[in-house]
Amino acid sequence: MIGWLSDNLVSILNGVALGCLLFALAVGLSLVFGILDVLNLAHGSLFVAGAYAAWRLADDGTIGGFLLAVVVAAGIGGAGGLALTVATRPLAGRGHLDQALLTLGIALVVTELVQTWFGRDPHGVLPPLSGSLDIGGGYPIYRLALIGIGVAVAFAVDCTVERTKVGALVRATVCDPDMVAALGVNTRLVRTGAFTIGGALAAVAGVLGAPLLGANPHLDTQVLLLALVVVVIGGLGSVRGALLGALLIGQVQSLGIALAPRQAPFLLFGVMALVLVVRPAGLLGSRAVAA
Amino acid sequence: VTRGPFWKRLALAVAMVSTAGCQGGALRNESKAEATSVRGSVVRIGFVAPLSGPFASAGEDMRRGFHLYLDRHEGRLGGRQVNVIEVDEGAGPETGVPAIRRLLSRDRVVAAAGIVNSAVALGAHQSFIDARVPLIIATAGANALTGPKGSEFIWRTSFSNADFNLAFGRWLARQPPVRGGVFLLAPEYVAGHEQLEGFKAAFTAGGGKIAGEQYSPFGTTQDFQPYLTQVRASGAGAVYAFYGGQDAIGFVRQYKEFGLTGRIPLYGPGFLTEGPTLIAQGAAGDGIMTAHNYSPDLDTPVNRDFVEAYEAVYKAPPTGFAVQAYDAGAVLDAALDRIDGAVSGSGLAAALPKIGEIDSPRGTWRFTGRRNPDQHVYLRQVRREGDGYINAVLDDLGPVEREATP
Repeated sequence: MIGWLSDNLVSILNGVALGCLLFALAVGLSLVFGILDVLNLAHGSLFVAGAYAAWRLADDGTIGGFLLAVVVAAGIGGAGGLALTVATRPLAGRGHLDQALLTLGIALVVTELVQTWFGRDPHGVLPPLSGSLDIGGGYPIYRLALIGIGVAVAFAVDCTVERTKVGALVRATVCDPDMVAALGVNTRLVRTGAFTIGGALAAVAGVLGAPLLGANPHLDTQVLLLALVVVVIGGLGSVRGALLGALLIGQVQSLGIALAPRQAPFLLFGVMALVLVVRPAGLLGSRAVAA
Repeated sequence: VTRGPFWKRLALAVAMVSTAGCQGGALRNESKAEATSVRGSVVRIGFVAPLSGPFASAGEDMRRGFHLYLDRHEGRLGGRQVNVIEVDEGAGPETGVPAIRRLLSRDRVVAAAGIVNSAVALGAHQSFIDARVPLIIATAGANALTGPKGSEFIWRTSFSNADFNLAFGRWLARQPPVRGGVFLLAPEYVAGHEQLEGFKAAFTAGGGKIAGEQYSPFGTTQDFQPYLTQVRASGAGAVYAFYGGQDAIGFVRQYKEFGLTGRIPLYGPGFLTEGPTLIAQGAAGDGIMTAHNYSPDLDTPVNRDFVEAYEAVYKAPPTGFAVQAYDAGAVLDAALDRIDGAVSGSGLAAALPKIGEIDSPRGTWRFTGRRNPDQHVYLRQVRREGDGYINAVLDDLGPVEREATP
């Protein structure tokens, strides 16, 4: 057991780091779905905005540039979330298919705009912390830092949702928006706030992920797919579910591929199918996927 | 969501798709009456390259190369004014093949060039044969496209997937033995297998040892840690990897981050360090050795002249993709020049075998009997020069004996 652990230490560690990044990416999508009942397929575009902010502002590999990129990305992502609230509002009550079509259309337009503004070439981004620790022959320090950042984001989001008054309002709006509105709370404000914060988180995840994934116009579909898998596995609208799903998928994509490389193409969806068979509402979800 | 409207919409969509299919069939029959063009009138040439999808960057370079050839020849090929009709290949055959069918049936071109994705080329090549319109493939490398069952209408200015890898494998087998063998890595799709098979065939025939072989899921792999960990565990003395574009950037950067750079040499076909990929890799790419049909570093008068003209217009160094499309222009130029009177697809197909040598920026080459370029492959190494990195040419690995490849 000890021998197996030390052989696979790097893969396990890397799975945790990937899981933390996936959590930052997916939690916004999950919140927006839970609170607004909006299936936002433009979520990946917000991630791409963050990735390009990192490329333009942080590719010198300095911490200052990286923090600047985080702030700028949060602003862009928040504004994007706000715009998406406005865009999806007229579709309220028309079902997920209409929302999916609208947000997918927005995602395609954003991809085209990114190509027009920044070109079609893929770019790499230097991590703000270079160098590696001597674990299993070398493990990048930035990925270790990602674990710390991921834990901090998870803790902050979880505390806000579970322990603050604002969080209680958010949870109440998820359960019964009409009742919350009847109590005199402006649910529109709650919804707008959730979309804005969800958007900002997605764009910040884009900055955090840039040293691993780089920046290219088609990154949105790749990360959207992962975010959807995480959210479906974790349970729609659940913060802790998103965390659990992200950590699970992180291990599947790292330890899973290391142990069963030949099955790699099927692992991701195999695990998702298995979870959905056993728990159709996701690991911590309270309702089945309806669409 | 209520079920009624959704199923109704689905049924409507199915109906629309099947009607579109019938329409395509009708148009294809129509196009059997060959499109022709008289000297002095404008010749319609199609150009197919992706504007979107994972190969968009390669597509951009191909468009640049083709247009540079036209611009340097007053927009004329074989003395005729040319009307280039560009279509978007998109991410794969589902967008590329219909776009090409439109080019053949609606735009009635007499020839076409381009195509990055082998799946698009394989899906569309029969349409070219049926319409009797020559296709000059400027990238797509699937071995079968110019294999024993090739057609007089399908030509290629780029490479067969095996080509560069055969040359590299042969060269590496002649070097001192790689301690622990070579570990092979590529994306899990047809080109990934064909590229590595080429290397494996030549390297093992020369006595080389393979330490391991892995294929990562195509298009969804961003993190290469599981593979790099396996490389380390295998005790391999070198890695031979076929990756391109964003994959190549991520792979090479992570190769350094996980501490393999400097300990385990990294080799591969040229796509690993090509164009924007090389720029984005930065210092992580330093020292990588590749085999390719081109480098802007080639020191010939034709290439120096070409690089200067290309950089003046596009503010970036040219790539193999650009040269292959530039040469597609040269091939069409030479073939059209041999035709008197009306230009037809079959006339062009008859002229193509007679064009002889192409004086290209990559060196002179000619078509083999199987319509693939008989070209030199160069051994390159990434080196620092000034502010950036270049693919310095170390050696000429000579021509690949094409017909010996599968």
